[in-house]
Amino acid sequence: MSIIKVSSLSFRYSDVEVLRDLSFEVQAQSFLTIAGPNGAGKSTLLNLLCRTLRPKSGSVSIDSIAIDSYSTKALARKVAVVRQEFIPVFGFTVVETVSMARTPYLDAFGFETNADRKIVADALEMTDTAQFASRALAELSAGERQRVFIARALAQDTAILLLDEPTSFLDLKHQVGIYDLLKRLQLEKAKTIVAVTHDINLAAQYCDEALLIGADNSYHIGKARDVFSPQQIEKVFSVRAFAGRVGQEKFFLPLGKFAKDTGIITTDSNSSRQK
Amino acid sequence: MTNLLTARKLAARIALAFVVLVVVMFVCSLIGAESISLKAVFGRAGSQQTVNTDYEIFVHVRVPRIILACLVGAALACSGVVFQALLRNPLADPYILGISSGAGLGAIIAVISGFTWTLWGRSPIAVFAFAGALGTVWLVWFIGRFTGRSHVTGLLLAGVVVNAFFSSVIMFLTSIAKSDRVFSTIFWLMGNMTEEDFFVLWVGAGCVVAGVLALFYISPQLNAISFSEDDARTMGVNTARTQMLAFAIAAAITAVAVSLSGLIGFVGLVIPHAVRLVFGPDHRQLLPLSAIIGGAFLVAADTIARIIVAPAQLPVGVITAIVGGPFFLVLLVKYTHKVGWLGK
Repeated sequence: MSIIKVSSLSFRYSDVEVLRDLSFEVQAQSFLTIAGPNGAGKSTLLNLLCRTLRPKSGSVSIDSIAIDSYSTKALARKVAVVRQEFIPVFGFTVVETVSMARTPYLDAFGFETNADRKIVADALEMTDTAQFASRALAELSAGERQRVFIARALAQDTAILLLDEPTSFLDLKHQVGIYDLLKRLQLEKAKTIVAVTHDINLAAQYCDEALLIGADNSYHIGKARDVFSPQQIEKVFSVRAFAGRVGQEKFFLPLGKFAKDTGIITTDSNSSRQK
Repeated sequence: MTNLLTARKLAARIALAFVVLVVVMFVCSLIGAESISLKAVFGRAGSQQTVNTDYEIFVHVRVPRIILACLVGAALACSGVVFQALLRNPLADPYILGISSGAGLGAIIAVISGFTWTLWGRSPIAVFAFAGALGTVWLVWFIGRFTGRSHVTGLLLAGVVVNAFFSSVIMFLTSIAKSDRVFSTIFWLMGNMTEEDFFVLWVGAGCVVAGVLALFYISPQLNAISFSEDDARTMGVNTARTQMLAFAIAAAITAVAVSLSGLIGFVGLVIPHAVRLVFGPDHRQLLPLSAIIGGAFLVAADTIARIIVAPAQLPVGVITAIVGGPFFLVLLVKYTHKVGWLGK
């Protein structure tokens, strides 16, 4: 069953067209990765999926209902968004930040009920952020802060989780940590996950489907192993890439002009393992 | 999870702050150039033969002025909270989008044109200042809306430029006007409490209390907006409507405050920070506590302004920063390590 349906979506910023006639569906409880070069329209697409932007033409529907017919509150109960982590101007603590996600559920009185608190506590627990619940966001590392933002999206209690480059500024360990967490949310909490990323190697390990958007408005969608093919990667990113394999996982290494000994590359990773 | 705000915790803190406010108001009502005693005020209230001077001073001079100071302090502090949240800028205050210069321009036009009529007991200065304040804010908001999706910077720039432009016009008008008339405007611009009659006070109190209650009602949404506008939208906040509403209410109560007492600085900038430092940035708590503490602060500052050079009086706008500045710096140093918004 598809939970997100995008039909012939187009979008332009005043005089630059970024998306043209894009159509795809996202199955409920699946993990979709959106990749592509800068300016191809990945973040734009994400913003269209949560109605931060409105399409020029075409439509998005969530749960078979056109996104435009949702009220702001109703949409916030379906779709949660995790943007790149940042330090807010005012010193909100972790638990205050995560509690904010309950805004679309608050009654007129404006305070969290015990049920709300339970959901917030669970989100903190799930993302392993409960330990610093009472600290201000500014006092955390970037990786911790990104987990708090994910906890907040989790506390919003939505079926769909959209993420915009959730691992951009994180070190290797934290990148893997975030993806492990997202996969757990997909499997244990039945979330549908759509993540924009530049890290196709890591994303390919976790996602079910991949959407590759080119700068020329071309796009490819399908199983990750089919979409992330060497030819497609080289074409879409217009970069020379080395494609290899570790076990069942494919990976790509971009090769720059000054890469050493590029002539004798083997397309197999056995050489590194034999040492 | 223990440090999350609950309705009960908030009610207790508001009650406590309210007690502090009442105590401050009570003590300040007994302090002044003329020493009066409560016993004298109420002891002879029944006897009609002689004029009870203590009663006259207390009821017709002290009490109205203290209520006025409380109202103005509450309005400015609340409005400061809202502007800081909407602009996501800790340096914002109620005057940042041109209210001050708009009001000043209105006041000086009223003085120069030499009107003598009154509207509901208000002088032309107050009426023109009120109109000038609201008109300027509307103008800035209108310009800011054209600057696109991230219109916070556009709004701030429009506010700064309109402020500068009107300030120049004020200085121009001041230079060409007759000097004796100008003096009253300058005194007014410094922020000044006068004894208002009860009708004006009731109307002002009605506006300010209604405004603060309305702002409290949208405070969960202000939390999300003060965090990030995009995040607020995806968390179910109708940002356009909330911003418009909060902006209009904050501008209105500021204009009321300005037309009652001129331009009093510092309260709107620093009281929100002081409350935030001690109690955190949750607007459900920040708004009501800022209102009450802002009121108490201005009552105290105005009392000092009344007595420090008695029998003469200083404009309270001169006193606010002198009294509040050192106090705020102590808070800043004490709490910055606990709440990290200035630390990094």
